[in-house]
Amino acid sequence: MTGIVIAGAARSFGTVRAVDGVNLTVGDGEFFTLLGPSGCGKTTLLRMIAGFCELDAGEIRFGAKRIDQLPAHTRDIGMVFQNYAVFPNLTVAGNVAYGLKARRIVAADVARRVDEALALVQLAGYGERWPHQLSGGQLQRVAIARALVIRPQVLLFDEPLSNLDARLRVSMRGEIRELQKSLGITAIYVTHDQEEAMSVSDRIALMQSGRLEQVGAPAEIYRNPTSRFSAEFMGTTNLIEARALGRDGNGMVSLRPEALRLGADAPADWPRLGGSVAHVEVLGPITRFDVRLGDGSLLKVATLDEPHRALAPGAPVTLAYDPARITVLP
Amino acid sequence: MRLAIPHQQRLPLAIAALGFLFLGLFLLYPLFNVFSASVLDGEGEKFTFANYVKILGRPFYRGAVVNTLAIGVAATFTTILISVPFAFALARLPVPGKAAIIALAAMPLVLPSFVSAYAIVLLLGRAGIVTQWLQSWGIGFGSIYGAGGIILVYTLTLYPYVLLPTMAAFKAVDVSVEEAAQSLGSSPRRTLWTVTLPIVIPAILAGGLLVFIETLENFGVPFVLAEDMPIFAVEAFKLFVGETAPNPSSAGVLGVLLIAMTSLVLLIQRRFLSSRRFATGARSAPPILRVGLGLRLLATAYCWAVVLLALVPFFAIVVLSFMEFRGPVLHPNFSLANFTALFERSTRPLLNTLMFATLAAVGVTLVGVPIAYVVTRMRSAMASLLDVIATLPFAVAGTVLAIGFVVSFNSGWLILTGGPFIMVLVYTVRKVPFAVRSSSAILHQIDPSLEEASISLGRSPLQTFGRILVPLMLGGILSGFVLTWVTIASELSATVVLYSGQWRTLTVVMFQALEGGGGGIATAAASTLIIVTLLPIAMLYRLVRRYELSA
Repeated sequence: MTGIVIAGAARSFGTVRAVDGVNLTVGDGEFFTLLGPSGCGKTTLLRMIAGFCELDAGEIRFGAKRIDQLPAHTRDIGMVFQNYAVFPNLTVAGNVAYGLKARRIVAADVARRVDEALALVQLAGYGERWPHQLSGGQLQRVAIARALVIRPQVLLFDEPLSNLDARLRVSMRGEIRELQKSLGITAIYVTHDQEEAMSVSDRIALMQSGRLEQVGAPAEIYRNPTSRFSAEFMGTTNLIEARALGRDGNGMVSLRPEALRLGADAPADWPRLGGSVAHVEVLGPITRFDVRLGDGSLLKVATLDEPHRALAPGAPVTLAYDPARITVLP
Repeated sequence: MRLAIPHQQRLPLAIAALGFLFLGLFLLYPLFNVFSASVLDGEGEKFTFANYVKILGRPFYRGAVVNTLAIGVAATFTTILISVPFAFALARLPVPGKAAIIALAAMPLVLPSFVSAYAIVLLLGRAGIVTQWLQSWGIGFGSIYGAGGIILVYTLTLYPYVLLPTMAAFKAVDVSVEEAAQSLGSSPRRTLWTVTLPIVIPAILAGGLLVFIETLENFGVPFVLAEDMPIFAVEAFKLFVGETAPNPSSAGVLGVLLIAMTSLVLLIQRRFLSSRRFATGARSAPPILRVGLGLRLLATAYCWAVVLLALVPFFAIVVLSFMEFRGPVLHPNFSLANFTALFERSTRPLLNTLMFATLAAVGVTLVGVPIAYVVTRMRSAMASLLDVIATLPFAVAGTVLAIGFVVSFNSGWLILTGGPFIMVLVYTVRKVPFAVRSSSAILHQIDPSLEEASISLGRSPLQTFGRILVPLMLGGILSGFVLTWVTIASELSATVVLYSGQWRTLTVVMFQALEGGGGGIATAAASTLIIVTLLPIAMLYRLVRRYELSA
């Protein structure tokens, strides 16, 4: 169990700076997520830690030990891949035992630890099966068991859930989080899914164009984005000029849809805005609607489902917003 | 301290270095010597184009260029003409026995084409069985010697090169594209001509180019059938035999010209075909068309006729090898005399053939698989260069490479001439492109993250190669090994240049028997060769079947 320090890590491919001077410290036992759109450098950074991508500059340490110049197979890492990467020529047990055999663990211990690891991912009794007999979710469990069983210093997840269907994604991410916490292994998790990142992480590093945009706890980044990019990538938001809300300054502010309410439901001290309903989507638990303001700008609003209220496009409406939930962007 | 070479690139770089060394010494160096022989004067000192002027000044050799190209174009055309309807019938029409037809249609690819040529002579030549039988009825037909016969044999032996990729292309056509055309008001016939055929044209052309290159390089077929007609590969061989080994200037000229022609064709192919791939991404093969009984019978008869016609010569040779020859004259009595005569003298040629093919197939696998690994897993200028060099033997006729070997390794620190290894090495180099292609195809289907998973679990790149990649590639490597083995066993064009004394192979025995008119021994050697070729294929087929059943 180890913390990870990344100092000044950089890597270019041609003229593209895939990772551009990243400094990061991940605490011991922390579940840390690299989040960002495709091409932001999150996977490159993960592959640097794993040893599949050389650094042009900077260094990476596990605890006090510098590892960025070690060959990948000596770094003591458990990695879970997007496409599972379960060896098709080995049984489930053979896959899980693979890393143990590479470490020359005696056979009796291998068998015991393989069984334990399979039980941990709820695949007890599946040892003799072949990968082609398993479903996608089961394959990913095998991959996780295979990474856990070697008791690595660090666990790396490269978009492990993106090949699974939506329901399985939600239940698996909970399992991954629980396993990681119960074993206490430092984990770095890569995803482009903001909701997934918020659900599993202790902290998130939001990345863009090879740089860290913002690092912090999920709720902190969501509530206090420090940039327009952070505000927009972490969920839906309204980016509007401060003046449109009748506030001072020339800057933009971010106002989350759920910080807006219909005037009738809002506390009296919330500022009011007048407009007309442009579009309504009833999504089940929540209702989203767009309101066009007097100056032509559009505001996205989200409320819980309220069966007694009917909103029709074109109807005039009064909105109110929570002044405490406005984020002024630089 | 930061090391110059990243860890994950050390293994590919080491392999690449060995690959460059091997191909540099046993491919580029001999070819360079052929080239320099062609541009040096008689003393081998001064640079001159006199050799080119001398050779190309003679109508005989200009004729050789024209004949070779004309026959190549004609044979390409006839193979396409035969194969495209065949491929369409197999892909889209209700023809019974498709699996058998495809298995039989692939056989000419591994059977030696000059054996087919020789069978044609025995059947349709001047003293041929069919010729004489027809003459007894008063029916005569034109000579099968010369261009006509050569084109016939090329068509019968090379058509699978067009058939198999075209059939695959027809099967890969997304049927919704055809449905779209028909919903727009196009009749099924017009859809075939305006939608389906254009989609498969790249596959047809790719196969046609393979046929064309094969005809340019082929030595055995024109050697048997050309008679007085000058053909490139044959004339290069004849010139070389008549020249002194250290400075084969005239043979060098023909060799360089031959390489130039094939390289040009390959370049055209790379340039124009690589950008025209109309993959339509069909999820499942298009449905078999519903056609009338007449068309169905016609298609069935056509497919079986082509497949069987191509195999008749080989079948005839096997039958004829059990008959009695008195000199070149055939008597219809069953006899084992030919085989006794063949093996009485020596079983060495058979053993040599088996040994050389095995050694060279091992060599090809050991060289080709690692090179394929570098070419598929490393994206760099160096990997592309290695790819190009490893493909180069494809453009080099066996005769030319063999001449280069004789010139390069008959003196100095590495003397190979007169021994067995010169043949093994030439065979290995010649088949490297095929091993690299087939292994690359398998490697492209193996996700690189499997290797990364293995490495992150603690296995070094070299251990990962052995424990993950090799087992996953094993089926492909094995069938590649058998195919290489089989084609090497019937190699003739390089062998005739290189063989010496006790290191004769079955093909050499046949070649010498043909020159000496010993028809009996030639047929016995040809039959043995056919059996030697088909046995491993049958074994592989059974092995694959069993593997598929168990999996």
